[in-house]
Amino acid sequence: MRMLRFLLALLVLVLPVAALAQDQAFTNRDTELKQRADAGSGTVASLRADTAVKVLARAGAWTQVQAEGKTGFVRVFHLRFPATVEGSSSSSSSGSNPFAALGGLIGGNKPDERAKLASTGVRGLSKEDVKNANPDAQALAKMQSYRAGKPEAQRFAREGKLAEKRVDDPEAKAGR
Amino acid sequence: MKRTLAAATAAALLAASFPAPALDIGGLINKAIDTGSKLKEANRDFSQDEEVQLGDNIAATLLGGWPLSKDANLQRYVNRVGRWVALQSERPDLPWTFGVIDAQTVNAFAMPGGTVLVSRGLIDKLGNESELAGALAHEIAHVVLKHQLSAIRSSANADVWASVGQQAAGERIARTGGGYIAHVGEGALANLAIDSVKNGVFLRPLDRSMEYQADRMGVILATRAGYDPYGLAGVLEVLGTMQGDGSGIDIMETHPAPSDRLAELEKLMPAVEGYANQPRLEGRFLQVVGRK
Repeated sequence: MRMLRFLLALLVLVLPVAALAQDQAFTNRDTELKQRADAGSGTVASLRADTAVKVLARAGAWTQVQAEGKTGFVRVFHLRFPATVEGSSSSSSSGSNPFAALGGLIGGNKPDERAKLASTGVRGLSKEDVKNANPDAQALAKMQSYRAGKPEAQRFAREGKLAEKRVDDPEAKAGR
Repeated sequence: MKRTLAAATAAALLAASFPAPALDIGGLINKAIDTGSKLKEANRDFSQDEEVQLGDNIAATLLGGWPLSKDANLQRYVNRVGRWVALQSERPDLPWTFGVIDAQTVNAFAMPGGTVLVSRGLIDKLGNESELAGALAHEIAHVVLKHQLSAIRSSANADVWASVGQQAAGERIARTGGGYIAHVGEGALANLAIDSVKNGVFLRPLDRSMEYQADRMGVILATRAGYDPYGLAGVLEVLGTMQGDGSGIDIMETHPAPSDRLAELEKLMPAVEGYANQPRLEGRFLQVVGRK
């Protein structure tokens, strides 16, 4: 009995943390869990909208997920993500965010406190660092010394077997 | 006629009832001309040189507070990816410069004139070169579309903005051989740059419509560069599964929610679906970032 109570307490403690796992996503429509990252491959399971999935890996147009105890691939656009800014609700309008209210569970309640906790090793950026900064011409020159010229960029593309394509921009603003 | 007479009478009465300095017509006219020229300056287009100088000054100011990564190999790699993507845009010949900032905060910033800063924290979240290309392509699109320039314009102190035009005329004369002279830390463009950083316009969100537009153009540019068009979607997926760091300038706080951006991007994808088998270049990316 005492053991059960302990386990229940543990569950209460662990649940929100598990729910906030960074690999959490939901289907945003009825969709299929496929065997491979290929629409023509077999269907592992049919998933209803709002099914919770665990993201395992990204594979271009497809995302490998675990859902309802099975592993397979779902189209990336068929997922919605519970991304939040800590301590505030997500600005997402594409679905309510069930974890937004729990944001404060990670880190402290003050933004600077959270920023400290969120950074690992290297510190985060802060507005204050630049608001009173003096222009650093040396750092600018250093950064510009890494520029890649056109021939260098073209050689780099060839090495990676990247072939230029003529793709029209529907908005015709990126047109060459 | 009757109205004119009435106006003249009213003016005469006003003139009689106010002490002379309040009706300093000459001063008023000068002020009106001054305001007019400021308005004209505020509405004129920046030349490419001015845009580049403004961007250089903003970059120098940001680098005064945020350290550049010392990983030269990574800096060169990011510049090659970025320049290759930028070559696919309608502004291929800007002095494109990409810099990695040594910070864990996840974000990227585009400056007028072709400078893009990306945090090491963002790179560490990515899984392959097509995702890096997608993130850089989004920033490149902001530059091509002059989004930051228009945000700076609408928030800049009018006097600071106008002084840029007044000084530009003088500088054009001083320039020799058409060569580009960087004026970092001094002059009107430097003041505008510092003003933009200090008043925070540079670190505040752009219009959502600008972000969606940059996402769409970014996908087109990365696809033209030969990458898997889903690279940017991958970046949004990464952002979707992470937590903002509460710094106020984390990407989660300066951009629309990843799910909203993905929903917008989905509409464009049929146009590039045929290129979904283009390379993602995971090996080259992981090697440079030290994860292989």
